[in-house]
Amino acid sequence: MSPGDKLCVPGDKLCVPGDKLCVPGDKLCVPGDKLCSTEDCVPGTGVYLRHGYIHSSLAGYVLRKNKGEELPVISVVRETETQPLPHVGAIVTCKVTSINPRMAKVQILYVGSTPLKDPFRGTIRKEDVRATEKDKVETYKSFRPGDIVLAKVISLGGVQSNYLLTTAENELGVVIARGEAGAQMVPISWCEMQCPRTHAKEYRKVARVQQEYTCRHEDVSIAGSLGGATLFHTEHTEHPILNQADMHGPFAKS
Amino acid sequence: MHSALQDKVGEVLLPGDMFSFESSPETIGLTASSRCSDKVVCGPGLRRDGDRVQACKSGLLRHKPPNVYWIESQQRRYVPTKGECVIGIVTAKSGDVFKVDVGGSEQASLSYLALEGATKRNRPNVQVGDLVYGQLLIANKDMEPELVCVDRSGRSNGMGVFGEGGLMFKVSLGLVRRLLSPQRDIVRDLEQLFPCELVIGLNGRVWVKSSSVQRTLVIANLLDSCENMTAQQRQSLFRRVAEGAL
Repeated sequence: MSPGDKLCVPGDKLCVPGDKLCVPGDKLCVPGDKLCSTEDCVPGTGVYLRHGYIHSSLAGYVLRKNKGEELPVISVVRETETQPLPHVGAIVTCKVTSINPRMAKVQILYVGSTPLKDPFRGTIRKEDVRATEKDKVETYKSFRPGDIVLAKVISLGGVQSNYLLTTAENELGVVIARGEAGAQMVPISWCEMQCPRTHAKEYRKVARVQQEYTCRHEDVSIAGSLGGATLFHTEHTEHPILNQADMHGPFAKS
Repeated sequence: MHSALQDKVGEVLLPGDMFSFESSPETIGLTASSRCSDKVVCGPGLRRDGDRVQACKSGLLRHKPPNVYWIESQQRRYVPTKGECVIGIVTAKSGDVFKVDVGGSEQASLSYLALEGATKRNRPNVQVGDLVYGQLLIANKDMEPELVCVDRSGRSNGMGVFGEGGLMFKVSLGLVRRLLSPQRDIVRDLEQLFPCELVIGLNGRVWVKSSSVQRTLVIANLLDSCENMTAQQRQSLFRRVAEGAL
């Protein structure tokens, strides 16, 4: 059940204090609001119990679900759909925001194939970039700011630290990167990408993209196909980021 | 393409000047096999754009046979580049790392272990304001530059902290390259004048020390004025100074 599209501006009258919340609808509440008593409902998420009453602990919509048992479950949600949080082992798509010799800082945009409403921050440490020769890794030769990277979550981090991510697998790493000239580069090996316009090669830790990891990035348009890379699979992938528009890059084999 | 570039060697080019591979009415692309002997290596200031070469700096076009072309430009602003030896000024000490100003947009970091003879127990004696001559290990537009004063084997090779009693001043990058060129005209002329110690950093900074403060200042002024002089003007100026100072 959804709260509906009831928008409001500061100052709008929502309801009168004392309104009984009997029918689930678009009832808004703020932290501290007394919703009902423990005898009427079972507490769900976003609520707390105090002196035998259920109070809201979030500012949002009140939801009542009738599970079929005696008492309905009352909960308060901020948004209509709950967004999926990255869990340990999830494959996430992120964008590199800054690099320094020890690590790369990224912004997590998609978890699996669902976009996140608010991007989370993640960190890829130098030793988590690849599986072999961890001490010889140079961050500048693996990522650059602006690259789109597929990574796996290895730790949720603490309160003050970001998600810890790793790209130490063949299928993880840089998926889309722009070269110095601004054109999108085509991968030519697991550690190099080439710009189709200037033919300049740049180092990246490139991902071998597989069919099941699809994302829906619409803001990136691509010029070449992965099918021509010599050391890679020469299949068309279902990756929408890399879905090409009938253009063959300079390295495509016809 | 070669002929088009050869014509322009020694001439002033502006950003946007293009050289294409066309020499016949039908355009032949770069991938055509008939053009494989026409290889051009682009140095600094020249960029390849599809099948054309474009100048992206203003300056003189230079050529080194067989096929290397580059643009020699005069600029005063230094952009940190990997592998260059520069003079830096220590601005801050934070923990294990010194912050050094090399003239770029960001300050470079110098780890205290990157100086010769430094161990965890034996910390180097570096104060804020010291001059340091080192090599840039990491320098690119995305990261903070990193400076080291030892080479790969751990020896200093003349790098490290220096600067007692001399004067450091700034010149343009073109003059610095001329000072360090294999011909060394300017330095040779200067040697005949006064004995002095010179440290030249590729970031446009030069440090001079001579036997007296006056001589140091004279040499500094001479180097500054060498910027826009031809060889003859420079030699006549040096001769006049030699006669006048004695």
